Amino acid sequence: MAKVITYGLYNQSFWCFNRGVNKLEIMEDVIRTENLSKYFDNVHAVESVSLKVRKSEIYGFLGLNGAGKTTTIRMLLGMIRPTAGSAFLFGEKVSAGSCSLWERVGYLVETPSSYPELTVWGNLEIIRRLRRMPDKKSVEVVIGKLRLTSYRDIKAKNLSLGNAQRLGLAKALLHHPDILILDEPANGLDPAGIVEIRELFGDLASNHGVTIFISSHILGEISKFATRIGIIHEGRLIRELNADQLERLLDKRLVINARNKEAVKLMLINHGYSINLSKNGNLEVTGKEAINHPEHIASILVHAGLPPTLLKVEEEDLESYFLRTIEGNVK
Amino acid sequence: MKNIFSAIWAESLKIYRSKILWITILAFVFIPFMIGVLMFVVKNPEFSSKLGMIGTKAAMLRFGNVDWQTYFGLLNQIIAGVGLIGFAFVTSWVFGREYSDRTVKDLLALPTPRSSIVLSKFIVVAIWCVLLSFVLFAIGLIVGGIIKLPGWSSEIAFPSAYLFMVISLLTILLCTPVAFFASYGRGYLPPIGFAILTLIIAQFIGLVGLGPYFPWAIPALYSGATGVGSAQLGIASYIILFLTSIFGLIGTLAWWRYADQY
Repeated sequence: MAKVITYGLYNQSFWCFNRGVNKLEIMEDVIRTENLSKYFDNVHAVESVSLKVRKSEIYGFLGLNGAGKTTTIRMLLGMIRPTAGSAFLFGEKVSAGSCSLWERVGYLVETPSSYPELTVWGNLEIIRRLRRMPDKKSVEVVIGKLRLTSYRDIKAKNLSLGNAQRLGLAKALLHHPDILILDEPANGLDPAGIVEIRELFGDLASNHGVTIFISSHILGEISKFATRIGIIHEGRLIRELNADQLERLLDKRLVINARNKEAVKLMLINHGYSINLSKNGNLEVTGKEAINHPEHIASILVHAGLPPTLLKVEEEDLESYFLRTIEGNVK
Repeated sequence: MKNIFSAIWAESLKIYRSKILWITILAFVFIPFMIGVLMFVVKNPEFSSKLGMIGTKAAMLRFGNVDWQTYFGLLNQIIAGVGLIGFAFVTSWVFGREYSDRTVKDLLALPTPRSSIVLSKFIVVAIWCVLLSFVLFAIGLIVGGIIKLPGWSSEIAFPSAYLFMVISLLTILLCTPVAFFASYGRGYLPPIGFAILTLIIAQFIGLVGLGPYFPWAIPALYSGATGVGSAQLGIASYIILFLTSIFGLIGTLAWWRYADQY
């Protein structure tokens, strides 16, 4: 069972919230893109992506491999110049020279890479110096936070994939950023690690006002903690929804099985229900009435002497929804 | 300046913890040692038959007089030739490894400007190359002393040391285009290929007499490797070399600042 981890040590002194954050920022679009586009020759890697992320939101940026997630993230970080459109962080236009912006931004792009011959401490100390952080203890603190203490003096080349990922996250979190931009941060983590990181992000967003932009190709994972989700496909942002909207958009159906399926099917058709046969041989009813009131169908079947052996409301899984959304938007 | 110092510290840690620093130092220790062995064999022909192939090769070489003057001349030619490749290797590693190890992305969105990171890399490359030059010259002096080369005098030693220093600096200046190709090519191989290519082209350019106008031939000409010496070099040669270095520096800075980094 995954261990539940609390982050009591993520206190005010660790996150330094007095650093220029005012009430006006609370409703501010901390991350914003306007028609952000990037073309590589004839390939439209990102096309007119406009999105807004408010303070303390966890924005799940979802897409298949090659959908344009990493290119968008690199444009948000000033690593790639947009062909058209712009990206803004805290209302300031992002460019390669936006050095003051990066004091407030932590990031992890693609697979985490570290200097193989340096230890965990060495890799983080380099980032601390380059981030001009005077607090020497911050490296030890973040090592503790990411549960890397026992690997502190291990060279990065000897770390497991999961610990390399933790080191990448430690670099992103070292300076207590106000924005976290993370590209597939759960890669390589074991299930307990994923739960731990998910709780960490939740804590940072809800208790410390950190805005998190997180890309993934796994909707099931993202939907567990994202407050808003954007789906990108073939470079285009094809759907944006709040976490609570997602619940409503998932397809639901009532699955029925009985000893005499043909008779059940006829009976329900006679009562005005629309019946389909599922791949595994069960009957499926998709109407709202059936899903909201399965007891009506149970009553009809029992009174007709056709008691159901299975009566269950099934919800479309998130992966199916994701794939259905993408398929509906194939160019 | 604080940015530069932080970045220099970071670069120094990377270099200090790598094996490459020690490998290059060993290589630059080995070179004067081998020259010393060859000089020793030429000086003592009776050893050539005992040393087999090395002895035969050494006997075939015509160093001229076996003395400190000749020995210093050889060291100067070596730093102009081997230095070009050795320093290019150092530069390729400092810049290219960020791409090969995919660590460059961690350097691109920091409060420390990219220009400071690039400049700090150039500074550590220069220090590293000066260290290697010093190692080569110092070991050369020790080896020369051990094999008891004749003809030592401060009138020979000091001008030779000065010449060695100038050739080293001219060669180090040519590292900047290598850094550009390491960044442009995103790795080690393109810059090393570029360095080897410049060395080959320098041979051909030298044959047609245009060496003084080809930057990568200039240190060798200055060292007298072609036999004519620095007399061929005019002010235009130095301007060309300095401009090449400046273009390399600006090109690398511009690449890090303006090129898409993916």
